[in-house]
Amino acid sequence: MTATPAPGPTGVIHDIGYRHYDGPLLGRRQAFGALTGYSLRGVFGLGRPARAKIMPFMLAVIMLMPAALGIAIMALAKETFVGYTGYAVQMQVVLAIFVAAQSPYLVAPDLRFRVLPLYLSRPVTVRDYVGAKLAALITAMFLLLAIPLTVMYAGELLIDLPGAPRTSDYLASVTTALIHAVVLACIGLAIASFTPRRGLGVAAVIAFFLLTAATSTVVAAVLYELGSAGAGWALLINPFHMVDAVQVWLFGTPSSFADIPYPDGIGGPAAALGVIALIALSLAALTARYRKAASA
Amino acid sequence: MRTSTILATEGLSRRFPRVTALDRLTVTVGPGVTGLVGANGAGKSTLIKILLGLLEPSEGRAQVLGMDSGSQGAEIRRAVGYMPEHDCLPPDVSATDFVVHMARMSGLPRTAARERAADTLRHVGLYEERYRPIGGYSTGMKQRVKLAQALVHDPKVVFLDEPTNGLDPQGRDDMLGLIRRIGSEFGISVLVTSHLLGELERVCDHVIVIDGGRLLRSSAISEFTQATQSVTVEVEEGPEALAARLAELGETVTPQGRALAVLVRGPETYDAVRDAVCDLELSLIRLEQGRQRIEDVFRGSAADMTEPATAPGLAATTVRGDS
Repeated sequence: MTATPAPGPTGVIHDIGYRHYDGPLLGRRQAFGALTGYSLRGVFGLGRPARAKIMPFMLAVIMLMPAALGIAIMALAKETFVGYTGYAVQMQVVLAIFVAAQSPYLVAPDLRFRVLPLYLSRPVTVRDYVGAKLAALITAMFLLLAIPLTVMYAGELLIDLPGAPRTSDYLASVTTALIHAVVLACIGLAIASFTPRRGLGVAAVIAFFLLTAATSTVVAAVLYELGSAGAGWALLINPFHMVDAVQVWLFGTPSSFADIPYPDGIGGPAAALGVIALIALSLAALTARYRKAASA
Repeated sequence: MRTSTILATEGLSRRFPRVTALDRLTVTVGPGVTGLVGANGAGKSTLIKILLGLLEPSEGRAQVLGMDSGSQGAEIRRAVGYMPEHDCLPPDVSATDFVVHMARMSGLPRTAARERAADTLRHVGLYEERYRPIGGYSTGMKQRVKLAQALVHDPKVVFLDEPTNGLDPQGRDDMLGLIRRIGSEFGISVLVTSHLLGELERVCDHVIVIDGGRLLRSSAISEFTQATQSVTVEVEEGPEALAARLAELGETVTPQGRALAVLVRGPETYDAVRDAVCDLELSLIRLEQGRQRIEDVFRGSAADMTEPATAPGLAATTVRGDS
């Protein structure tokens, strides 16, 4: 072998001292986007320890199960079994658990560990902060609901059942998924933001959904037995049914609650107003909460 | 107003329903490291919040880098770094991820944020541990992360609120060394608060003392140290004898608990202490540079009011650059 010149030192770290940053500084909009992305990753536990990923991914898999079942039945029995428009209402327990488990995650640590002042000592404003957190949770809830619907629709197109595909149902359900996402995220974040303790936040959000669902079912059933027309209205106490009633009104889809019909006529617009009021109330609560938190 | 003014306040007051946090405070701060000293509740943190534009003053004005804190808060926050006094770190994120995120919140693009975060964490002395979740860090390491997030966007000025809080003596020395480097090597002006004047003496060019929201004193550090150069002597037994001997040698001695504070006139004072201890055959336990405490300043300023003619630059409105 011929002698090769000795290789010089490689991988030496030079201390080049402090360097100033002379690159561009982006505006508030980019910071908003970055915070939304960071929070969205946090909702699914990405970039966090493994145990933070268990809950969101488990729930996401459960959300996909009816879609998988629907595809299997379409492929084997050649008939449609799982519908698009009732997906959210049928999976309301899973959605409620997800929003209860993950919305405190978005707001509570920043309050508890007092990270908020670090955001506010930067160009980010309170409004940017709350807006980015909301955007992240809305996106997460939408993905949670829209992905199973889309998977099922893709399955339906591939299996190519006799007759036209249920495209209008699919589109109606995806649009309603967005409304569901906004309503759930607003409620969840508003309730969760009131306590810096995560466990308490989870309990409070789940309690809200349990209470509204139970009240709505019991009151509606009692009124229905009495033959009262108020039964349909009582269903709307449950936010999931309220959004479903909006879907029925907007797209003429069948009600997801077979036994008791939603109130007709004025019922649809009233449900829509209720949805808007619920969102507005949540946003007002969030604004008040963070005005106080920012001055602390 | 001088162009090299980093920040200035004019008759700044802030009243809360129960307390007056700031009372017509007028100060000017130039480049370099400036210490802001005051007891707890003296108004240090309130002043920083007003300077950041996060709190409205009840009256008066404040300017940072020539920008008004009331109307140009967003621009100020872009050019300034802030390290709060309290804990402010989420436990389940790594220092790297957290500092990158904070850099992006200051407007740095993704790649620049990564580079700056790595650089800054290295400068504050966090190496391999920066990939682990912050929850497992020691207090010293957490303080470094807090400092790194304040520096990551390369601000013109940093406000450090009690950066040595909760640190052991070694950690304190490291932190003070870092602050000195930020002011000199990094070329970033520093406003650092503390309730210990002694530790600020070592790193600051200029010190502002406030009490009850009012300015007590603002002067270059050299004036502080000149005024009270003293050496603390502690011997095992017989401090009285030592005091008598030193007084005999013409030194000014005041007992300080078990120790003696000897006013330093020059190098001959140290010789006198050494000779006196040897002659009396005492066991010397401690010989240390006297640390001026906040109370000494209060005492000093009270004395100055009685004889203003002899006080070097202690008038309440003394600003940087007059000396």
